[in-house]
Amino acid sequence: MSGLLEVWIGVQNWIFETLVSPALFHFGLMSWFEPAFNAVEFFMLGVVQIAVIALGMRLLERRWTLDRAGDAGLIGVDRVYTALNKLGVIPLIVFIVAYPVTTEIERQVRVWGVTPPRLEHMLPWLYDHALASFLLYFALYDFAAYWVHRAQHRLSWWWALHSLHHSQRQVTVWTDDRNHIVDDLLVTLVLVIFAQFVGVQPDDYVLILMVGRLIESWSHANVDQGFGWLIVGPRFHRLHHALASADERHIHDHNFAPVFPIWDILFGTAIYDRKARSTGVADKSIDADNGRGWVVQQVTVFGRFLRALLPRGERSRFSRS
Amino acid sequence: MNRFVIVALALCMGASTAVRAESVVILNSEDASYSIVDRATRQEVTRLPLGREPHHLVVTPDGKEVLLASTVTNDLVALDTTNGTQRRVVRDVVDPYQLGYSPDGKWFVTAAYRLDHIDIYRADGFKLASRIFMDGLPSHLTFDVESRTVFVTLQQSNRVVAFDLPTQAIKWVAEIGKAPAGALMLPDDKRLLIALTGEDAVVTLDPATGAVVGRLQTGKGAHQFFPKGDGRHWFLSNRIEGTVSLIDTQDMKIAATIRVPGGPDCMDITADGKELWITQRFLRRVAVVDLAQMKVVASVPVGKSPHGVFILKADAVAPGLPIRAASTETATK
Repeated sequence: MSGLLEVWIGVQNWIFETLVSPALFHFGLMSWFEPAFNAVEFFMLGVVQIAVIALGMRLLERRWTLDRAGDAGLIGVDRVYTALNKLGVIPLIVFIVAYPVTTEIERQVRVWGVTPPRLEHMLPWLYDHALASFLLYFALYDFAAYWVHRAQHRLSWWWALHSLHHSQRQVTVWTDDRNHIVDDLLVTLVLVIFAQFVGVQPDDYVLILMVGRLIESWSHANVDQGFGWLIVGPRFHRLHHALASADERHIHDHNFAPVFPIWDILFGTAIYDRKARSTGVADKSIDADNGRGWVVQQVTVFGRFLRALLPRGERSRFSRS
Repeated sequence: MNRFVIVALALCMGASTAVRAESVVILNSEDASYSIVDRATRQEVTRLPLGREPHHLVVTPDGKEVLLASTVTNDLVALDTTNGTQRRVVRDVVDPYQLGYSPDGKWFVTAAYRLDHIDIYRADGFKLASRIFMDGLPSHLTFDVESRTVFVTLQQSNRVVAFDLPTQAIKWVAEIGKAPAGALMLPDDKRLLIALTGEDAVVTLDPATGAVVGRLQTGKGAHQFFPKGDGRHWFLSNRIEGTVSLIDTQDMKIAATIRVPGGPDCMDITADGKELWITQRFLRRVAVVDLAQMKVVASVPVGKSPHGVFILKADAVAPGLPIRAASTETATK
């Protein structure tokens, strides 16, 4: 076992034994003993991700800044989103809500006699090729995430939530986690159920989240850099955040893929060019998210979501703008 | 990275899964695999794929096979108890988290921890006799010596339930303390011990009624029993305290305490009675306790969240001896 892994496990165990398990024991929550141990690892991975963003990506972004005209003051709230997500606060809330739902779905499916498959059963070769197995599951997960992302743009009620992510005029490496909590919940529900269905192992799932989210953080960087057709980079994803114009009214309905651009290429939604564009949403009510704090954004966007659920004719009665 | 090294090592050793006698099988619950550790060198020699979320294992009544249970893929993979060779796969055993045979070998019972039901099978052919849904995370089980009753702990609802095996009817349900886990019917058939993982104690129940008649303080997170083999002493893992207690069940007192860090859980003992092997769930290791010194003398890296453990041996189970079957020695959470 490598020394680094030993240190990692040691720290995880120390945090758990010193802080978490006594609390679980005290409050009678021993049924959550194992999930809580995994939550400690999730927290530690979050700390690593924040360090990579703050000490690595941010330095590169400052060195090769693409758009220097934006208001840097708008970035602060995105740091709050990043901290709340990476350190497990939002995921914990999402877990509490989503767990009973995913468990009940699994229970019903399995009572019907359906057992979740595993790719290795169909392709036994994968048992001996851990990297290939991981990449295959990663690609499948990203495929599902691509279609979830398209749904976020296609369905008006989901766009009402997801538009918070796009409303940022100053897109940076901190922007990836800027999402409404209900949006996070819906995405998690769909992707967890999908992951269970295709048989992603817990360890691989954590690694997919870790690697995927770091790539997504970098793809929001305010730099002109790309990885071509291989991996989503800032140049590719910045176009997805582009402000619509008269010539490009549906520009953000392209380049949906979170990690692998191949999905956009295959399904005809890819655009590759180096034209300079501003970022944000050309809708005053959505653009108003800028300058608001975390709480106000969560409240106002939830209102936007509720209005979007109403029949079209009723929405104007409750419109705030 | 470790995974690649182990796979490479396994390939170098050839495709056969047969291993040396007294090698140790460990179920890596979050790696979908099982490790084979050589007892002599205390090194993991191979890691092999196994379903999804394999937690526990049990020896068949004839002592020839050990069944490795995968909870998500609903199957039991049978290994030869002497050399670890895979012999067969039993399918469609739903969520076999905890499992055990009645001492007479006629009944096979599983506790579906995630799906909240207890399944009672006729062991011959694994024919399902009854599925009983019980909220509250069914987790551990044990049988009476006469093979008439199975006792199942319900970890989340603080209860223990007793089923009459011939009729599969509930005999009693009793609330006994926080997060009951390990269950052990003593050979006298008059005392049922339950480990309280939400507390620091073992309680003694009257198996006829479920009434609590005694309490022994052990360590925080009291969890799982394993017999020392003399019919009098049982080991008990304390998951939060990171210790193993040796309980004298005759005098109901703690005879010794061994420090085993990392959430100690399932145990097995070597055929010569010299070593106790115990999984350290959180450290991804299995600890080796020298029973002469009563201390950990080695800790072997294995897969993630190692749970069930079994030492390959010719006489894995002495059929007909209730002391082994009643101890649920390989069946723990």
